[in-house]
Amino acid sequence: MTDTNVMDIEGFNLWYGDKQALFDVAMNVRKNKITALIGPSGCGKSTLLRCMNRMNDIVDGCRVQGKMTYHGQDIYERGTDVMALRKRIGMIFQKPNPFPMSVRDNITYGPKIHGITKQSELDEIVERSLKQAVLWDEVHDRLDQSALSLSGGQQQRLCIARTLSINPEVILMDEPTSALDPIATAKIEDLAVELEKDYTVVIVTHNMQQAARISDYTGFMYIGRMIEFDRTERIFSKPSDELTERYITGRFG
Amino acid sequence: MSDGSSIGKMKKFHHDNVMKYVLMAIASVTVVIIFFIILFILINGAGAIGDIGIIKFLTGLEWRPSAGSYGAVPLITGTVMVTLGAILFALPLGLGSAIFISEVAPKRLRNILKPICEVFAGIPSVVYGFFGLIVLVPMLRGLFPDHLLFGTSWLAGSIVLGIMALPTIVSVSEDAMRAVPRSYREASMAMGATRWETTRRVVVPAAISGIAAATILGIGRAIGETMAVMMVTGNSPIIPAPLWNFFEMLRTITATLALEMPDVVSGSTHYSALFLLALILMLMVLAINYAAKVIIRRSRRKFGDSAQPLTPSRSYLAPLYNAPSALQMLFILCAFVSITILSLLFVDMSASLILASVITVGLMLFMAVGSLRSSKYRQYKEGLPEETRYKISKNSSRMLRSATLTGVFIFVWMIASLFTDAFISAAVAFVVIVAIVASAPAARRMSAGWKEKIAHSSLTVVVAIVVIILIALVYDIVSKGLPALSLDFLFGYPEDGGTGGGIFPAIVGTVQLMIGTMMIAFPLGIISGIYLSEYAKNTRSTRIIREAIDILNGTPSVVFGLFGMAALVIYLGTGYALIAGCITLAFMVLPVIIRTTEEAVIAVPKELREASLAMGASKWETTMKVVIPAAFGGVVTGLILSLGRAAGETAPIMFTAAVVFRSSISLSLLDPVMALPYHLYFLASEVPGSSVMQYGTALVLLLMVLFMFAMASVVRYKYNKNIKW
Repeated sequence: MTDTNVMDIEGFNLWYGDKQALFDVAMNVRKNKITALIGPSGCGKSTLLRCMNRMNDIVDGCRVQGKMTYHGQDIYERGTDVMALRKRIGMIFQKPNPFPMSVRDNITYGPKIHGITKQSELDEIVERSLKQAVLWDEVHDRLDQSALSLSGGQQQRLCIARTLSINPEVILMDEPTSALDPIATAKIEDLAVELEKDYTVVIVTHNMQQAARISDYTGFMYIGRMIEFDRTERIFSKPSDELTERYITGRFG
Repeated sequence: MSDGSSIGKMKKFHHDNVMKYVLMAIASVTVVIIFFIILFILINGAGAIGDIGIIKFLTGLEWRPSAGSYGAVPLITGTVMVTLGAILFALPLGLGSAIFISEVAPKRLRNILKPICEVFAGIPSVVYGFFGLIVLVPMLRGLFPDHLLFGTSWLAGSIVLGIMALPTIVSVSEDAMRAVPRSYREASMAMGATRWETTRRVVVPAAISGIAAATILGIGRAIGETMAVMMVTGNSPIIPAPLWNFFEMLRTITATLALEMPDVVSGSTHYSALFLLALILMLMVLAINYAAKVIIRRSRRKFGDSAQPLTPSRSYLAPLYNAPSALQMLFILCAFVSITILSLLFVDMSASLILASVITVGLMLFMAVGSLRSSKYRQYKEGLPEETRYKISKNSSRMLRSATLTGVFIFVWMIASLFTDAFISAAVAFVVIVAIVASAPAARRMSAGWKEKIAHSSLTVVVAIVVIILIALVYDIVSKGLPALSLDFLFGYPEDGGTGGGIFPAIVGTVQLMIGTMMIAFPLGIISGIYLSEYAKNTRSTRIIREAIDILNGTPSVVFGLFGMAALVIYLGTGYALIAGCITLAFMVLPVIIRTTEEAVIAVPKELREASLAMGASKWETTMKVVIPAAFGGVVTGLILSLGRAAGETAPIMFTAAVVFRSSISLSLLDPVMALPYHLYFLASEVPGSSVMQYGTALVLLLMVLFMFAMASVVRYKYNKNIKW
């Protein structure tokens, strides 16, 4: 295997005020692979994910320490262009959060922010992103309707399309299917697998089957620590840590 | 029954059923009150319609009751102009501060700025008026010695009103921006937008209805304002010439009511004409509040789950929108010229130019928006080719830009023309436009980071200005009022017509008024609030009660005073009396109490009620033993705040209860009283040489109101600490 690392994380700690939420975390994200983070609620998997594009910056009293690099560059270094970082590392949230604008304006929001103004180019982006997110067939005739009129699953795929519109390299997904029904979930999972060809995906999930189904690598976290990080088959077939084994066999969680 | 143990039927006169109707009856009192207010205004105003004629009243250009001319135009113009100026002053400052507090300020700073704002919303208007008269008016006279002979002017009125409207605008629009889901911000930031881009393109557009509602509420507050305006506008019932000359004195409807009501003969044409004015004022405020309500309702729908699809509507003016832009420009030019010529028949040159320009700018905006909407409609319905759609959107944004530029040109020209002749003002305006156009490409090239820096630092400047104004106000009153405070001042009687002695009877009078108001308004308000939140279903009668509360809430305080005078002082014959003042004030604070009670009670979690009901408690028992104790802190906070508001009001008591001098303390309900706010108004406007006394009175009044606020926050704090859900 010649996987190259997109992100490397080592000895990473995080505090919310006085409360430490991440302890000495280490893992890496490999290019064009799906990496899943699993663990019981409150174990810090979402927190870790939000660190990867510095979304925790907007939380008051959040402080980090340790190494987190993107293509070898420490993203917490002073002077890092956070906006540029987030352009390369997009994020999908737990609950679909389309803007209260039309479908089209949702997609063109990012490109416009990043300086694309030509209408023909924007139209191309709208079509490409929606097609990539397997939403085009469902919405191509109502691009000017409110995004809020879409169903929950469609909204989530719209959010994915919105992220794709600015061509990120990495897509972070924070329990993207937890607010969706099983059919919509299946569609998002298929989509994630589809995206793997062109993008690198990191997905947080509380659903172990989901991790087993779609991911190449899995990290198991527990109370702020990365207990085990390995290839998904290994984690689910013969985990080296007893805690991991107890979790994946459903003895706690 | 299968198991034989009978549950039995509910008694017909079970206390749950009885209580429901008792509460409903009490809640309906509000409807009765508003009915009587409107009835009294209509009955008393009807005489004037017969004597003067409604057309003559509404179109007459002269208000001179002594000469028998009752033309309301100067007063309506005065009201509109002062309000317009106030909004022009307050909107940029208020909106900037709101954005700063909600989006830029660190949490700790926000926690300081927000409460400051709320405290300033509670300062009595007579104190603002006092500050305007003592500090602002001389300052303006110093700044524009050639234009302001006395300093009292439209300009001064607008600035004072603007400062008063600021806290409302800041606080309501900040709430609206806070209410924008965090997920929108995250989604935008996650795509690499800067904070400023997120604010400008996501947060503000999403909160726009709330911001509009805040502005309208601010306008509503400014229009109904009496004391502050009366103290600083000079009160000449004339129409400014030229129309935008903000150095002129003018007079509002509210000031007219407050100035002329005390001296008018009951039943005369003049008396009746004042009621007609009050009716006009009420209609204006109601229209504005209704607009705010509609907008708020629409914004709720936007964030609700049942989002309406954005289906643009078909427009019959589509041919006009979609005409080539050269044709549109020609059309606009023709409109401008023809409107100018037409209106020259009725008014002078400057007025017709301004009318024509305003209509033209409106037309441009209308066309810009219209062409966008109609293109969206055609896109949606007919599948307009992308290219055409793009052309239309470019066209409409060009139109929007030219409308803005024209607007700026007119505005600059109008202001400059007050200082110099028309030609030079036109040149100045032209230079400004050229500067804007020339700097536009540079602004477009600027990096997002720089834009953010510039935006955030200008916001900081705006907030600094607002904070400095507010601090200057408090500092001025405290620093000059403190030397006046002494035992003699607090416990003495006024001497030498108010230039010496103390304010003891005014303090006692204010406390008496507060206690009386409390005894009338608290039971009514609390019970109505409980009824509305716990018992009322969404039936017709409930809607009527709610509507009545809304109307009562929007009624300007001077109208309450008018009602108190007509209904209590004259009709029931109480004369100026404590009881008349208390009833009038109670009616005024009633809607506030009902609302805060309702909100506090609704905030009690459903689970608590269910737990109680599941154990077989009746609804009444649940309400009394579970819900009210749980909501107690919130209810009490609302009560204290409403009392603080009652303490500082002047207009409702100045023709029902308050007199300028009392030589003894009387406990009789039928005697008139002195009151702090009225005393301050009297000293500041009628007693020269009483500066120290004025500051002392203002400080005592301020301290009283701030004490109420402090108490309210202590209650809120304790309550939040004890109860958690």
